Amino acid sequence: MLRIKNLKKHFGGVKALDGCDFEVGQKTITALIGPNGAGKSTVFNLVSGIMKPESGKIVFDNKDITGLRPVKISNLGISRLFQQTKLFSNLTVKENLLLALDNEDTKFWKNLFGLNKITRKKEGKIKETLKLIGLEKFENILTRDLSYGQKRLIELLRTILNPHKFLMLDEPVAGVTPKLREEIAKVLLKLKQQGETILLIEHDMGFTLGIADEVVVMEKGKVIAQGKPDEIKNNPEVLEAYLGE
Amino acid sequence: MFLQLLINGLIAGAIYALVASGFSLIYSICKFVHFAHGAVIAVAAYILYALFSLLGMNFWLAVILTIILISIFGSVMNLIYKQLRKRKASNVILLIASFALLILIESLILLFFGADVKTIGFIKIAKGLEILGAIITPLQIFIVISSFILFALLFFLMKRTKIGKAMRAVSDNKDVAEIVGISSERIYMWAFIIGSAIAGIGGILIALEQNLEPMMGTHLIIKGFTAAIIGGIGNIPGAILGAFLLGFSENFGIWFLPSGYKDAIAFVILFIFLLFRPQGILGIRKK
Repeated sequence: MLRIKNLKKHFGGVKALDGCDFEVGQKTITALIGPNGAGKSTVFNLVSGIMKPESGKIVFDNKDITGLRPVKISNLGISRLFQQTKLFSNLTVKENLLLALDNEDTKFWKNLFGLNKITRKKEGKIKETLKLIGLEKFENILTRDLSYGQKRLIELLRTILNPHKFLMLDEPVAGVTPKLREEIAKVLLKLKQQGETILLIEHDMGFTLGIADEVVVMEKGKVIAQGKPDEIKNNPEVLEAYLGE
Repeated sequence: MFLQLLINGLIAGAIYALVASGFSLIYSICKFVHFAHGAVIAVAAYILYALFSLLGMNFWLAVILTIILISIFGSVMNLIYKQLRKRKASNVILLIASFALLILIESLILLFFGADVKTIGFIKIAKGLEILGAIITPLQIFIVISSFILFALLFFLMKRTKIGKAMRAVSDNKDVAEIVGISSERIYMWAFIIGSAIAGIGGILIALEQNLEPMMGTHLIIKGFTAAIIGGIGNIPGAILGAFLLGFSENFGIWFLPSGYKDAIAFVILFIFLLFRPQGILGIRKK
């Protein structure tokens, strides 16, 4: 579904990505792991269009998406969760989710004439989803007034609700309480059962290796290993680079 | 005297708020100071003059056509800025470009219409209504009511419609808005169209109340900009509040000072805010 070919990205003299190659198969959860500074988030920034690579190719669904604007990439079906929470702080929980649900109705005339019909249907879906995670009473709260964990959950929900074929989750359980971590793990496992394709960055090895079908290990901007979680666990190169063993 | 100054302040505030709200809308979304917004007001006034006074078109048809044409004019301005954005122009470059556009457009008005003042002459001089000793003309009442209706519509647009929410999302974080599928370029275009339409309506109302002269846009954008800073730059309700505060201060100020000090009063208030509350009335101080 996603092919990264010889991707390079430099920041001044620092080679964040130096010929990165890997593939993500359809209906799999692929974990992208590696020590800090390995280039994992840079891969996410390049795939989602936030940054442009110096060279290399990103192919999604047999389409070359290298250097496209984030909105075009989003509309092709890639939905992304950021490492640091990035909700629209001056919008309510409901408004944040409503915007992600269907971005097509920002077209003015469609929006103007179909105002109530569009919003009512979607607001119902949002209410239902918020109930599932027990946050229905926060529907009309500005997201800047939520706790970190609640923000993380709402952002994950926004990423999932955004129409997509492919999810990219950058450290979904970083900095959350063990209880919330469990909740998020449940959500991800449910997505896995539904046959979603997910690329995941996570430092929590227990969590990552527990849900991933495939693991890609990066170091110094390059992929040093790719395989099933069990193979990766016992790969001496990975143990040395990542676990320092 | 007090009531008369209050009414005069209300009228001035309504006019400044029409300028400041559109300016603030564009600033909050596109994140640069669009000084050429003043020229949009002047162009709208001159389009109405050309259609109604020179070509003899039906007044209401001329008004509708002016609003449509000025919205197109606003979107053309956005296309100019878009080319600069594509070349990674900084906000300072965009600010300089907006000054250049303001001067260019005013010079073109001067070239085509001349330096002498023009009047629309749609409303014949009417006797003002007397309210507790204060005088207000029907046109002035119309200006105040139409601006309040416009502000309510703008509030509805921003709070209740999807495009308004998308505008607030782009204003909050353009990159994240793009990630959730909102085209920031499309939103910029709508900000310019809507902001220019508001400025256009402002230009029409001002043209009915005052004389037209090529540099009228510069004077108005200075007041609109001042109001936007006082209210909290990029905050639309703040800009409207700031505009009324400015209108009232200028008019009550001349109770004590000669009327020539009106502009000085506006700038004194601006400096007071910049010194003691730089984030403005409704702005949030950045940590």
